[in-house]
Parts: sequence; structure tokens; C-alpha cells
Amino acid sequence: MSTFELYRRSTIGMCLTETLDEMVSNGTLNPELAIQVLVQFDKSMTEALENQVKSKVSIKETKWVGEKAKGHLHTYRFCDNVWTFILRDATFKNEECQENVGRVKIVACDSKLLAQS
Amino acid sequence: MAGSVSSVYLQVIEDVISKVRDEFINSGAGETVLGELQTIWEARMMHCGVISPNMERPSLQKQTGPITPVHDLNVPPVEEYETPTAEMLFPPTPLQTPVPQTPLPQTPIQTPLPGLDQMYNIPTGPSDYALVSDSRNGGDMKPGRPSPYMPPPSPWMNQRPLGVDVNVAYVEGREDIDRGAPHQPMTQDFFMISAGKRKRDDYASHLAPGGYMPQQDGSGDVEIEFALQKETNFASTGVWGKIKTDSISNVLIRETPTLPQQDGAQDEYDELFHFQEVTNEDYNTPTPAEHDLRAPTPLVGTPKPTKNEAAEDDEPPLNEDDDDEDDLDDFDQGEEETNTQHLVLAQFDKVTRTKNKWKCALKDGIMHINSRDILFNKITP
Repeated sequence: MSTFELYRRSTIGMCLTETLDEMVSNGTLNPELAIQVLVQFDKSMTEALENQVKSKVSIKETKWVGEKAKGHLHTYRFCDNVWTFILRDATFKNEECQENVGRVKIVACDSKLLAQS
Repeated sequence: MAGSVSSVYLQVIEDVISKVRDEFINSGAGETVLGELQTIWEARMMHCGVISPNMERPSLQKQTGPITPVHDLNVPPVEEYETPTAEMLFPPTPLQTPVPQTPLPQTPIQTPLPGLDQMYNIPTGPSDYALVSDSRNGGDMKPGRPSPYMPPPSPWMNQRPLGVDVNVAYVEGREDIDRGAPHQPMTQDFFMISAGKRKRDDYASHLAPGGYMPQQDGSGDVEIEFALQKETNFASTGVWGKIKTDSISNVLIRETPTLPQQDGAQDEYDELFHFQEVTNEDYNTPTPAEHDLRAPTPLVGTPKPTKNEAAEDDEPPLNEDDDDEDDLDDFDQGEEETNTQHLVLAQFDKVTRTKNKWKCALKDGIMHINSRDILFNKITP
């Protein structure tokens, strides 16, 4: 099963990466083992999002129809099967909370790549 | 919400830890190290505020039972967590990059350094044999070169002065050189054009034994350079000058064996400039017939683009810098608004756009917004 390294940039992924960095640099951990942990994290995180997370959000730009997140699209690019959007003045809403951000970056990998493997 | 995020995170941690346990044991790292990993990881997460110390995690307790540090973490709530956190958080920062790529750091460092040294060493006088063998080695190296992450055997690279030339020279030219250099004079000429230094050496050595060099004239690449230079000198004399130029240049070449060395003596960049300037004039002044007369001329046409390409190759870094600037701008703008980076990481099923209406079907995402983590299963229109 192939995985995205995408989620390593999330909070949990960064925490893990920093931990592994620390343990490798002070000699506690074998670097190869650290990489295996990261790969396992990729898998586990992907599975968890697939199986455990049910909340839904819909995103639309200002003229997008949705109500969950509004904003205007500042940047969009599609490179190497990765979409990157930068929204300005976006509002994210879900069932429980609403967040306003001046600038948010959305990075999305192609889900089909995951399904293929 | 936060609770569900925390629980998902904790389950991910648990999942990861349990699934790498075998690896840890097999590799000899042992459960202690694994426990330490989990402890620090969770401590950092708590420090970031994405999981709360009081979270219930029965399964975790089971797993971490044998491991003392983790067990300690579970019993007392906050304080125990914070002590390790502070200790752990401060030292680690320096070595973030090396870790994921641990096997790599040595290679990138070693490769460029020998390369530089050898660059300087090359002119001092590698023999023909060395050059040929080196060029082959260089050819071998070439496929590896684009991916700096490959751990190439560094001693092997160190020994090859050509490693440098490979880096410098244009790829296509190199291939021609590698395959053709030993056998065919024609390819040697190509060789000379694309990579000045090496060719020069080869050529000079070939010239040295015999004063009379019919191949030079025939191959024309070199000869043309001379002729062109002459033409520039004679340009004021007009048509006459051109006609004479050819004969004169030929004479000069035969008379003075030093001529090829002159070409060689020029730095690549000098050659570039001379070459381009001259050829430009050349295209303007002489009639096409003259070019046909000189068989080499078309050859001159071919090498030139390679040089131009080489020059263009130098430009992309500039463009990259532009990109960097853009990124910096974006980053600065982000910083102006908030120090926190708001980020959404997800997978997309489909992204479509009709005029200014975008529809993005995203799924399985993590949002980090205003220091809060939000997980979502789908973003749908």
C-alpha cells in the first residue's frame, strides 16, 4: 500500500517527526527505524482518516455555493498531481465551530493514486 | 470536536506504535526505545495542545503498561508531561533535516567538494588515457546525477576528475563524447564544442605528434572558430576579407600548431562569447554559398545551439529564485496576518472549475486552523 507523506505536515506528523529527529540525533534510534515509523504513520493516519473521521465540510469560494467555508481564491496550482489552493479571508465552518482565517493553504493529493496501489 | 480529534490522534499513535513494535524488537532497539518514542511524541502533541493529557485511552494503557515512562505519564496529569516536554523540546531542533534522510547527508556533502577540487585539477593536465576512462566513468555517473538523494559510492566519485566535467558539461554533448571520443574524430569535435576543457586537452595531444592536421580542416568545428575570428578581424576589409579569411585561417592553422591551443586556452565563457559574437557576424556577412563550401559550417550551426542551451541552463536558477521570492512573499504575507500557518492537508477526488466557480471534492483531510486541528472526512460541494 502506497501512502502520502502529506500528513506528516500535520500537527501530529510534525510532532512525530520532531520526536524521531531528536531520538535519532541523540543516538537512541536507528534512522532506518525512524523512517519505518514515519511510513507506518503515513498508513495509520490515512486509515484513521478514512475509517474514523466522519465529519464533513464543504468548501466554496466566495461565489461557491457552499456555506461551510467562504473566501476568495488567491492562488491555485496543480503540479505533480498535487493541488494547492490559497484562500483569502476564508471562513471554515463545521458542525461545532467556525474559524476565520486571513489566508489558508490547502494541499491535496490525488486520492486515485492511493486507490491504485 | 476537539475530543474526537484527540481520540483519532491517540488511536493513530497507538496504531503506529503497535505496528512498528515488531520492527523495533527485531532491529534490537527494543520496547524501551519504542516507549520513549511514544512518550515524547505524546508529550509534544500535548505541548501543541492537540491532545489533552486527561484523554482516556484504555488501549494505550494496556500497551504502555510494561513501559515505565509511559506508565508514569498516565498516572499524574499535567505536570509529569510538562517536564519531559520542556527537556525534549529544546535540544532537538538542530537536526531536523538529517534525520529522515540519514543515509544521505554524507553524500551531498562529499560529492560537490571533490567536484570542485577536480574542476581546478582538470586543467593542470590529465593525460589522454585518464580523460577517456574518466569520460566513460562520467557517463556511468550521469544517470545517477539528477537524483542527489541516491547514495553514490563517494570514493568512486572522488577518484574521477570527470565527475566534475560531467556536472558542468551539457548532457547530450557528454553522451556523444563518452561513446564517440575514443574512436571517431567527428564525435571528438562535438565533444570539443560542448565541453571546452576536456576537448582541448584531447585535441592538443592529438595535434602534437603531427604538424599537419587534415582532420582539423575537415572536422571544421575548430577551424571555423578560427575562421570566424579572423573574419571579425578582417570584417572591415569586406568581401575580399572573407575569401581571404578562409585561406588565411587554414594557412594559419597549419603554420602555427599553437592555434588549437589558443582555442583551448580560452575559458569556456570566453569561448562562448567569442563564438557567439563571431557567429552572429558570420551569419550576417557571408553568403550561404560560402557556408556550403565550408563543409564544417553546418556543424558550427549545431554546436552553437548547444552552447546557447548551456547558457539557458544557467538561467533556470534565476527563475527558481523568482519562485522563491514568490514563496517568500506569500510567506511574508502570511506572517503579517498571523504567525500561525493555516493549513489544510487532504486528498482530492475531483477538482473542476467553470469560469470562476470551483468545485473541489476533498476527503480525508486534516485542517490546522487558528491552532486548532480539525479532521474531516469529506469536503463536498
